[in-house]
Amino acid sequence: MMSAANLLLWLALVAPLLLGLLAWWRPPRHMRGVALAGGVLPLATLWLLPRAGEGALHGSLSLAGLSLHWRLDALSALLLLLTQLVLLASAAYAVGHRRAALPPEATHARFWPLLGGLVLALGLIWVAADLLLLYAGLELMGLCAVGMMLLPGKAEAIRAGLRYLLYALVGSLAWLLGVTLLLGAWGTLELAGLAAVVEPDVTTRIAMALLTGGLLLKAAIFPLHGWLVPVHSSAWTPVSAMHGALVVKASFFILITLWRLLLPEAETAAGALGLLGGSAVLWGGLKAWRADSLKQVVAWSTVGQLGYLMLLFPLLAGTAASVATLAWQATWLQLAGHALAKAAMFMAAGNLMLSTGASRLSGLAGTSRRLPLSLMTFGIAAVTLMGLPPSAGFTAKWLLMQASLQSGQWLWVVVLVLGTLLTAAYVFRVLRCSFVEEAPRHDFQTLPRGMDLVPLLLALAAVGLGLVAEWPLSLLRQGGVP
Amino acid sequence: MTSITLILLALLCLIDRHLRRACLAFIVFALVMSYTWWQLSVPWLAVVEALLGALLTGTALLHALGRAGDVPRLPQRDATKQRVGEAPARWFAALAWLSLAGLALVGLLRSGRLPLEGDADPTLMPAGLLVMALGLWAFSHHRHLLRRLLAFNVLGSGVFLLLAGLAGPGPQVQGLILVGLAVALVGSVLGVMLLRRLYALEGSVTLEPEGDP
Repeated sequence: MMSAANLLLWLALVAPLLLGLLAWWRPPRHMRGVALAGGVLPLATLWLLPRAGEGALHGSLSLAGLSLHWRLDALSALLLLLTQLVLLASAAYAVGHRRAALPPEATHARFWPLLGGLVLALGLIWVAADLLLLYAGLELMGLCAVGMMLLPGKAEAIRAGLRYLLYALVGSLAWLLGVTLLLGAWGTLELAGLAAVVEPDVTTRIAMALLTGGLLLKAAIFPLHGWLVPVHSSAWTPVSAMHGALVVKASFFILITLWRLLLPEAETAAGALGLLGGSAVLWGGLKAWRADSLKQVVAWSTVGQLGYLMLLFPLLAGTAASVATLAWQATWLQLAGHALAKAAMFMAAGNLMLSTGASRLSGLAGTSRRLPLSLMTFGIAAVTLMGLPPSAGFTAKWLLMQASLQSGQWLWVVVLVLGTLLTAAYVFRVLRCSFVEEAPRHDFQTLPRGMDLVPLLLALAAVGLGLVAEWPLSLLRQGGVP
Repeated sequence: MTSITLILLALLCLIDRHLRRACLAFIVFALVMSYTWWQLSVPWLAVVEALLGALLTGTALLHALGRAGDVPRLPQRDATKQRVGEAPARWFAALAWLSLAGLALVGLLRSGRLPLEGDADPTLMPAGLLVMALGLWAFSHHRHLLRRLLAFNVLGSGVFLLLAGLAGPGPQVQGLILVGLAVALVGSVLGVMLLRRLYALEGSVTLEPEGDP
């Protein structure tokens, strides 16, 4: 018999897909409707949060002799809440996008079930406690994401989508092979069961190498980030927002969960993963600084910002408990802040591009006077990415810096400082282009008001998260570092 | 015997430049896979494999080639040229993959911990490894997107064989294979739709834009 809380959790997980199917049949015309229908979801999660902190929510689904395990702890509940907020924002923005960009009706309608499927998949990944359920979630997420990328239907979108599809499919086979080895060696797929029996022998290490390879590919971590930028360059704005904010991070979440459970003491490998992260920060920042088009700047910035998350590996493996706690909190705060800010930034960039009709940075000339709101949103989102106080990015980087100093890993301090400078460089390059006044006049398209409001709220939320960071962090501390 | 048949069919499917024949070889390959599950006494998985693997995925792949009279219709032969020393990163990844898998299997066999079940076929593991190697080779080597999709499907089947050989046909293995088959089907359908669109828009059958070396 399912308890009320369990039932509510599964309703909240499945509801996005049902709503998506409903919207496929009858696409919503007003943001209000979307906000009303979707607004219930975060409320449900907020109700579940204290119960999740007590560790009361776990169970298994039995299907024909096969049991799939799941659990909702404080971290997964917070991630679920974040997912639902970004979903709400993307869905509301998509309603405006339909009115402003006028995509074909049938194509627009297909966006909704894919969005629902994507959010269901993300929810499954957050709550899964079993490699089979993780596999199903990961694949559902990947396929829905590919489907969404392809909606524009232009040749370059198709090429980008095909490349992403091939990468994702091969990445998932690497994952499946890793799971095969783990199952062959230890005879179980349940994470808790595996953690109890697993020994760090050759097979486990190789299985983890394969799993990691597949996940790094899906998370677009340097040097396997090649697919990310072309994919964003041609995708619709609400799709980019959802993808840049959450999809790539789900793979990171799985990665860190598996490493903590199966090989928590592997310091060399953790150091190597940290180095990949550091290189991603620098390379992504450099490429964003040199990029020509606005969407490419934002996409390369995602590659760079994902690198900060990877610093968690060397700061967790074999370090003191205080360092591990600091790094653990910093990483999830960075993830949440970046998700909100990156969604805001993609939307603000999409607004600028829709209004000016130009995608290159030089096309932004004159926007500072004509589109101050979109530009301001871009700027506020950038505050979080650069890590200026009082944003979530600042708190997260501050904690990361403290953790690096306490554990004596100076290299990451250098990475953090250089990364911040590079972020400032590419943000100010965009702003400078928009303050140019002597360019010929454009016709600026006016956008529905909500399209400005949604990213502004997201960007403010990312800054505000820094002010109320103590609330999620205290919930995380309760759960402790696994 | 079935293992050798599987390897030969995979080879046929992956080296043939005549695309329709390659797709047909894949369908037969999937049917033999289905027979393998039957032999392992998992009849429902055999049915699923025949349905999703052979019938639906096979039809999807054949659909890429179109029927006579379709405009535009994909060329029936793969005329892309392969160059020596192309895509070193892909080759490196394929070799790393294969050697890791081989090493892990050797490690597992040595440790003697394999919870092998009585009716597991001992030839499944080497067959899986070889089929996987063929798939990896083809995936790194070919540029034609249909052939890469075929290679992906063969590679996936190799992993399934390895999985069944290693862990026996328990419910967890069946669950994994079921998800894998569904993913391969949806992935192939998406890939084929995209390939047709790409060809209609640009006349290209590879990921690289025309004229790009």
